[in-house]
Amino acid sequence: MDMMESLDGMDTLGTSTIQKLENLLLVAVPRDLTDNDVLRLRREVLKAIRQYRSRWVLLDFSRVDICDSFFGRFIQSIAKMAKLMGADVVVAGLQDAVIETMVDLGMTLADIHAVLDLDDALALSRQSGLTREFTSEQADRSEGSLSGNAAGFPNVGSSLVSSTEV
Amino acid sequence: MAQKQPEQRRFTIKNVVDVVRARRSGLGIALGMGFHQAEANKVAVVISELGRNIELYAGEGTITVTIYDRSIEVVAEDNGPGIPDVERVLAGGYTTSQGMGLGVSGSKRLMDEFEIHSVVNEGTTIKAVKRLR
Repeated sequence: MDMMESLDGMDTLGTSTIQKLENLLLVAVPRDLTDNDVLRLRREVLKAIRQYRSRWVLLDFSRVDICDSFFGRFIQSIAKMAKLMGADVVVAGLQDAVIETMVDLGMTLADIHAVLDLDDALALSRQSGLTREFTSEQADRSEGSLSGNAAGFPNVGSSLVSSTEV
Repeated sequence: MAQKQPEQRRFTIKNVVDVVRARRSGLGIALGMGFHQAEANKVAVVISELGRNIELYAGEGTITVTIYDRSIEVVAEDNGPGIPDVERVLAGGYTTSQGMGLGVSGSKRLMDEFEIHSVVNEGTTIKAVKRLR
């Protein structure tokens, strides 16, 4: 917290940074992230993927106007980690100036989807049809006799399992 | 008194917050000089990369931004461990840290002039210039 106080007036990690939108986890990346913020944000995103059973993570970069190589590494690492939870990372809203600098700097981002904006991200996630087959609400409801197995996996054969399209 | 000194801003770098402050100030200075958003962005990223290196390897140092008529100069100075193999660092892909190994090599690509003076166990000075077009 001392880090945030000393960055008074800057756009840092806030409380409303992560939101669920359909099967997307919408992450509004703050403009002035310090390294500690980056690590904290990454952990919060992983936690939220699990909580909301998100299939897609949308990193909204529209507020970011300076993107250095540490930021690039953050995008790359979050994509790798999300992948291990079965979620894909989509980057949206990169500013023209930021794109130019990233490419000239020599940044390469493997396994990252990129879209122009939030609308395109939503279209991509809907079009892919990639959703979880079991929502957290269903998981809560089914606790007890129809719960998933001990490891927390859903019972795929259960009649409670249905499409989770919103 | 006859010659006007160029305007200068010096930033002490001790931690990442200092780096964030310096790069944001740098962006504002470059935009104020009339640099295109993308060019100003590059100056800010170079301040960020060089600032991170100071914080990471030397622990402490300064970044000085000097405003000339048709260019901006960024000088990063520290009394840290120095760079043993400057050529290798300039070639890119070399890192001992959490970056992408692009800090120095990438910064060179973003600027018009780029010079490194580094002496092991004495320190490093990097001078980078971006010209207004």
